[in-house]
Amino acid sequence: MPTAYPLPKNLSPATVANTASLIRIVALALISGAAIASRLFAVINFESIIHEFDPWFNYRATRVLAAKGFYEFWNWFDPTAWYPLGRVVGGTVYPGLMATSGVIYNLLHAINLPVDIRNICVLLAPGFSALTAWATYMFTKEMKDASAGLLAAAFIGIVPGYISRSVAGSYDNEAIAIFLLMFTFYTWIKALKQGSALFGTIAAVTYFYMVAAWGGYAFITNMIPLHALVLILMGRFSSRLYVAYSSWYAIGTLASMQVPFVGFQPVKTSEHMAALGVFGLLQIVAFAQLVRSHISSQQFQRLLVAGVVSIGVLGALAFVLLTYKGWIAPWTGRFYSLWDTGYAKKYIPIIASVSEHQPTAWPSFFMDLQFLIFLFPAGVILCFRELRDEHLFVIIYAAVASYFAGVMVRLMLTLTPVVCVTSAVALSTLLDTFIDPIEPEITDDAQSESGASTTSSVPGTNGAASTAPTATSAAASKKAKKAAPAASSEPGLKLSDVFASSTVKTSRPRGIYGLDTRVMIVFNTTLVLAFFVSHCTWVTSSAYSSPSVVLASTNPDGSQHIIDDFREAYYWLRQNTPEDAVVMSWWDYGYQIAGMADRPTLVDNNTWNNTHIATVGKAMSSSEEVAYPILRKHDVSYILVIFGGLIGYSGDDINKFLWMVRIAQGVWPDEIQEPNYFTPQGEYKVDDSASPAMKNSLMYKMSYYRFAELFGGNPGQDRVRQQQVPKVGPTLDYLDEAFTSENWIVRIYEVKKEDPLGRDLKSANAFAHGKKRKRSKPAPRRRAIV
Amino acid sequence: MVYLRSLVFLIAGLATTLHAKSSTGDSVLVVVEPNQQDNYSLFFNGLKEQGYDLTFRAPKAETPVVIEYDVANFAHVILLAPETKVFAKDITPQSLVDLLGKKTNLIVALSPKQTPLSSLAAEFSLTLPPPGTPLLSYFPEREEPASVIPVPVPASHSILSSNLPPVWFSGAPHSLGNNPLIVPILRAPAASFASETDGGSPDALVDAAERGGEGLWAGSQLGLVTGFQTLDGSRITWLGGAAILSDEFATKEVSKGVPSGNLQFARDVAKWTFQEAHVLRIDRTTHHLVNTTEPLELYTTNDQIVYTAYISKYDSVSSSWVPYSGIKDLQLEFTMLDPHIRTALLPVSNEPGKYLVTFRAPDRHGVFKFLINYKRKGLSFLESSTTVAVVPPRHDGYPRFLSAAWPYYTGAISTSVAFFLFSALWLAGDSREKRAKGHKAE
Repeated sequence: MPTAYPLPKNLSPATVANTASLIRIVALALISGAAIASRLFAVINFESIIHEFDPWFNYRATRVLAAKGFYEFWNWFDPTAWYPLGRVVGGTVYPGLMATSGVIYNLLHAINLPVDIRNICVLLAPGFSALTAWATYMFTKEMKDASAGLLAAAFIGIVPGYISRSVAGSYDNEAIAIFLLMFTFYTWIKALKQGSALFGTIAAVTYFYMVAAWGGYAFITNMIPLHALVLILMGRFSSRLYVAYSSWYAIGTLASMQVPFVGFQPVKTSEHMAALGVFGLLQIVAFAQLVRSHISSQQFQRLLVAGVVSIGVLGALAFVLLTYKGWIAPWTGRFYSLWDTGYAKKYIPIIASVSEHQPTAWPSFFMDLQFLIFLFPAGVILCFRELRDEHLFVIIYAAVASYFAGVMVRLMLTLTPVVCVTSAVALSTLLDTFIDPIEPEITDDAQSESGASTTSSVPGTNGAASTAPTATSAAASKKAKKAAPAASSEPGLKLSDVFASSTVKTSRPRGIYGLDTRVMIVFNTTLVLAFFVSHCTWVTSSAYSSPSVVLASTNPDGSQHIIDDFREAYYWLRQNTPEDAVVMSWWDYGYQIAGMADRPTLVDNNTWNNTHIATVGKAMSSSEEVAYPILRKHDVSYILVIFGGLIGYSGDDINKFLWMVRIAQGVWPDEIQEPNYFTPQGEYKVDDSASPAMKNSLMYKMSYYRFAELFGGNPGQDRVRQQQVPKVGPTLDYLDEAFTSENWIVRIYEVKKEDPLGRDLKSANAFAHGKKRKRSKPAPRRRAIV
Repeated sequence: MVYLRSLVFLIAGLATTLHAKSSTGDSVLVVVEPNQQDNYSLFFNGLKEQGYDLTFRAPKAETPVVIEYDVANFAHVILLAPETKVFAKDITPQSLVDLLGKKTNLIVALSPKQTPLSSLAAEFSLTLPPPGTPLLSYFPEREEPASVIPVPVPASHSILSSNLPPVWFSGAPHSLGNNPLIVPILRAPAASFASETDGGSPDALVDAAERGGEGLWAGSQLGLVTGFQTLDGSRITWLGGAAILSDEFATKEVSKGVPSGNLQFARDVAKWTFQEAHVLRIDRTTHHLVNTTEPLELYTTNDQIVYTAYISKYDSVSSSWVPYSGIKDLQLEFTMLDPHIRTALLPVSNEPGKYLVTFRAPDRHGVFKFLINYKRKGLSFLESSTTVAVVPPRHDGYPRFLSAAWPYYTGAISTSVAFFLFSALWLAGDSREKRAKGHKAE
């Protein structure tokens, strides 16, 4: 048998297998190391700090959990959040993340490693990314083979689409959720393949963990039933499917209902109905199979038609009735916004106002996935070639996740794993083909039976890689045979001839001749992979490793300059205000204020109460006189605004201001109207031509209070909006400036107490500045009698 | 016990009869022109006898300053310079408002003349008539000029002693705005009006009267002496004219053999203004569950909560705070944004100064405040706010074994029993099954 390059002859198969497994272990270890290391940019460039917004709450909750134990955490009522409504944290939180950190913390302390809880929180995401790499390896191994698994693990380890949510310090639910997602899928596939109740139960348990950890568990809740449904529709119902699904659904649903935040949702809301419906359908189908084995086929046909029709109609009617009666909650707004991207903006501005709920821009696909996005379709097509049950799963997953990733930026996260898996399948097929040393024999008779898959007899570098197909083809029963014609009849699959390998039987021998083609292809692939690595490193270090609590800029000489205004201001609050001083700010900063300044806040990133947020929006967008009673009613002592006009920080409150107006308008359409905040020409301006409503709004006044003074008589320049601010800045009667950070990013105002003489504060202020009051006459007490 | 305590009070009271003291301090600064100082000697001596420590200062003198290093130097200030147009630079309308913020009490005399103080009055919702228009009255018929008026005092008044004879008044009236912090002390007689000293032109008066009183400064709605209590609790009294405190009016008879009430009136006004009388405070408040004593930071919804307030009143005779149970209309609010509960907080009999109420916490979790907000004219304001959280029951705090849940219990129990039976039958029937299988195989 001709080979393209010489192979060592005298190796025993056991040695090859052992070496391959050693290499796999080493590779996995290195991949884990790379996954962890590439997420540490944030710690090295900045410090070990919790990032962004939500992680601050998770961190705070974890500290409570670590300090007081699980039961106290479960019953934790946080009186400082959503003042004065308070937040029942134990019942409104996915506790999986905190519980995980708490367990790790207690474990480390039990073995006398006194690690700070903060460091555990910071490093949890990188740690779990290593596990994700392993879970992806296992998953992909089920799809193709171990070499594809290793590639997939390497991809997911460093792909920016996943790193963006899991750098060190990004202590968010997604940090552990992606691992659980992949692991649940892996165990589901395993359960399906083996028809094993054990793996079904493991899938249910990891599903429970996932439910406890992330609201995105609904993705699994719908993916697995969808897969099962497609299998049934394709006539692939089997007792393996029945066992796997039933054990997963029954145990998983019961377990998920133990999470207080989820409660009875799995049997009450529309999002979970698909899983329940498929469960019911499976029982019916299984029953039908049972009946079929006992009666004649003609009777069965009739019975089947009648049964399916009546049950389907009854089920649909029951569902409609239950929804109509309100026993099943209708779809939520978040769900609708998945189908109609304009929906949220129209009806629920609070969801639309979050930047990560915006539709994805095309460049970000390349930014997050680089060349994987090109390999992704090829991998999906390769899945069609074999089309085993698990390949169907990947195909469905790919289709669904691509759609969702296009709709919402944050759902890029769910697309990333399947892209890694399919790309790895595609790439490893390519490499299998071209590294395979065997050249086709030039004979006239087609060597159809042996084909290129003579691997079991040929020990070589790809030994481990090519044993899997043989094994699977041996194990594959009718399904593989069924799949093969289906695959070859697909016109699009002509493409796949390029990657031709063992399974497709053709009359002519397939293979690669010579070493030059092999070297060229392998070299190019290596080059692409190298570019991928460098791209990932660059994106990770430059785009995804900023804590956003601390900002970095560059000095003229190229050195790094740290802008630390947020912490400066939060620590000012912590040190200089009474502990029960309520701080009002836009909801973005609620968690940070609670976490870093330790002060009660009106609203925070857990946006559960739209009216309360609208109240803050109203206070911010009204004039001082209107806002003051609102502030007093809510016991607000300090107001915190973010202002980027001085150093050009574009994520400031003036840029978010229209959302405040919109949200307030949703609740008080008579008092707040969005058009009032634009100039007559319809522009959003902060300069002299700004509309009166804009200029009188509390937000505008707080942002630009004394800003013009900085420029010593010259017109002040707002560097975010590139506009000149009015020379005479706004005045404040009801607030006092309390603190402004170094770069003016954070400005804190103190709400004045009511005037002791019972005047309104505006006239009190005028009096204090020595302005004369207009003489007034006594009010007439009598009406003239004519 | 009670007898013993009252005896102690009695002795203490006897010992300090002459030294009735203010609750906020004894130092008084009197700003008065030196040449007029003797005109008010009866009033000043009365204060001195009470134990006040009087310091005199001319309006234009630089020292002693009223506020030094942002601290008020005196507990009380009397400004008896109604006609002075220029004060030393530390006495401005703004600094006087400042003084009130620093718990200093003020007595300010006005006059028909326009001075910096008359513009200050506007900040207290008092509107003064145009300059040069003192209060005039031609009734009752008397020898004195029309601008010197005997003003009858209401027989019972919360601040003044009861059954005072009329007091002599001369000066400018003021009309009262609708500021709830104003405490009217003395009103103008019904037949009086403000006009120029010569009585003004009768035509103008008739004109004004025909317009229904519009623009006419007349009648009993006008105030002559008006108190004002700021939200901080400090008090200021505006006198329409300084003469009401003068020796001349104090000794002048209202009618044959009836001395005027001026001296007693001045004492009463000083007593109120300098916080000797009508001074209340909340000593402390506590809250706890029924049948316990320790206050909690977290209550559970529907808990029975006991709220107690201890209130005392300042007794100037003994210069001490005495428990006070005299308030009948005190209310307690349990508030989150809006009052969820508003209930009467009634005094407990037999326990002086103790007010207690028991109520059920609302079925609503959140951060609540126990609020006492008792504001009555003339009395010092009672305000108290205590924040507690009301939380939902703990995970194990809900009732167990509800009768409504019996279907579920039945379901669980029956499934368990059925599983047990099934297992038992399965195991028992095992061998036969095998045999049957074996037969089939054959």
